Amino acid sequence: MSDAAVTRESGSLAQRRASDRRERIVLGTAGVIALFVAWQVAADYGLLNPTIGSSPRLIAQAFMAQWQSGDLLADLRVSMTEFAAGFLLALVVGVGIGIAMGMSRILEYAVDPFIWFLYSSPLIALYPVIVVWLGFGTTTVIAVSFLLTVVSVIVNTLAGVRSVEPMLVRAVRAFGGGRRAVVMKVILPASVPLIAAGARIGLGRALLGVVLGEMFSSNAGLGFRISYYAGRLRTADVFVALLLLIAIGLATDKIFKHVEARLQRWRPR
Amino acid sequence: MALLRSNASTAPLLKNRVPLVRVQRPLVGALAVGVFLAAWQIIGSNEIIRSDLISYPSEIVATLGEMVGSGELGANLAVTLIEFIEGFVPACILGVAAGLAFALCRRLRYLVAPLFAALYSAPMIAFVPIIVVWFGVGRDSKVAMVFLAAVIPIIINTTTGVNEVSEAWIRAVRAFGAGRRQVIVKAILPGALPAVMAGIRLGVGRAIVSLVAAEMYVSILGIGRLIQVYSNGGRAAAIFVLVGIVSTFGLVCVNALRVLEHRLAPWRGGR
Repeated sequence: MSDAAVTRESGSLAQRRASDRRERIVLGTAGVIALFVAWQVAADYGLLNPTIGSSPRLIAQAFMAQWQSGDLLADLRVSMTEFAAGFLLALVVGVGIGIAMGMSRILEYAVDPFIWFLYSSPLIALYPVIVVWLGFGTTTVIAVSFLLTVVSVIVNTLAGVRSVEPMLVRAVRAFGGGRRAVVMKVILPASVPLIAAGARIGLGRALLGVVLGEMFSSNAGLGFRISYYAGRLRTADVFVALLLLIAIGLATDKIFKHVEARLQRWRPR
Repeated sequence: MALLRSNASTAPLLKNRVPLVRVQRPLVGALAVGVFLAAWQIIGSNEIIRSDLISYPSEIVATLGEMVGSGELGANLAVTLIEFIEGFVPACILGVAAGLAFALCRRLRYLVAPLFAALYSAPMIAFVPIIVVWFGVGRDSKVAMVFLAAVIPIIINTTTGVNEVSEAWIRAVRAFGAGRRQVIVKAILPGALPAVMAGIRLGVGRAIVSLVAAEMYVSILGIGRLIQVYSNGGRAAAIFVLVGIVSTFGLVCVNALRVLEHRLAPWRGGR
């Protein structure tokens, strides 16, 4: 009897949760639609100068025009390639440095001030120096993206290595495991949650780096297009690139959240 | 909305080490920085790598002196600081107010949540050109950019922080006869303070980057403008000076916030 009561109670709780979730989705969608409708109405009734403020209809037209001319896909391809290159490079290098720092105290102390400097300094300001080294274009954009991303990966990997249970390391050693085995069998798997958290923060920073690099030192990609179109007062075209970047930021974050959850699944709760 | 944090803290978990560690850390760190600076000085000043590309420490110090002496640095720094304050203070006030409203009204929160999530995950810099179209090339666009960059994490964190205030606190305040106003002032605001401060700290970082980028994009005066000017002249020393200034400003802000948080919430103790 008490069992039945418990089930009914948890059933209503689940129901309430489901209805709350539904409300969240419905209201959230309504909010986005309301914004676009209000924008269009404001533009139609002259409350907003469409040259300056654009409008959803103008943006849709600009999107179609860019799509048909192939500009959109070309820019998207450039930006996504740079994004992927900067992010993956930062992930590999950052995890490597983070694990090395986590395993060697001296190395950690020696590298720490530099990491701290990179983390606190506005790296965009260094782009002129990077341009001088790597030239104008893709390589510089990837480098800016890499630099912005790598720090958060290093910091979080280090925290991950620090969170490893020393007993596990000792156990692997006791069974004759060398340095390699310790890293592959204990440190890497145990650090995965924090590395993933760092990578997720890094994802946003990598995209920021791409836009930054393209705006200031490239002649292709979405970041470049935004500043190019804005300079010609083609606001609808600016919004096409801007909305695409927002979508990319949201989508990569959502995808990564799933990856993060999946990487956690084997862990006993 | 989930609480936004800037990064994981490096928690010391291997506690069973000798206390020698205390001495080692600053010593090794200082040594590494010393070696780096010395190597930089030797490579740069002997033109092993062209010094106009990488400069060297003593030249950077001399350049700093020059830029301060000529008044160039002071005048531009003042402009940037004023732009920052004019954007950041309203962002804090309106951000906390809006966050509070969203937290107290669930439907309103659901309505705007996706918009703020989109704004938060978008690269802020991408908004610079359109903000310049709307607000002009002068100071207004920089102030707007600072505001936009800072206000979003403050709103998100205030909302989350208020929602996570312990129900027991609110009930306790109510039990002593407090009205709605007093519940907000005595229980909700103090309880949400750590989350709000974390949002403000995130806002500082985003605002500084956005401000410098906006000034670099187009402006008449300011640190970002100077960076742009010197980048065309190929003077690495001046760039390093300016990067150092902006870094220092960021660090001062973060430490000031830490002191402020301690003042506002002394019961939390520690840092």
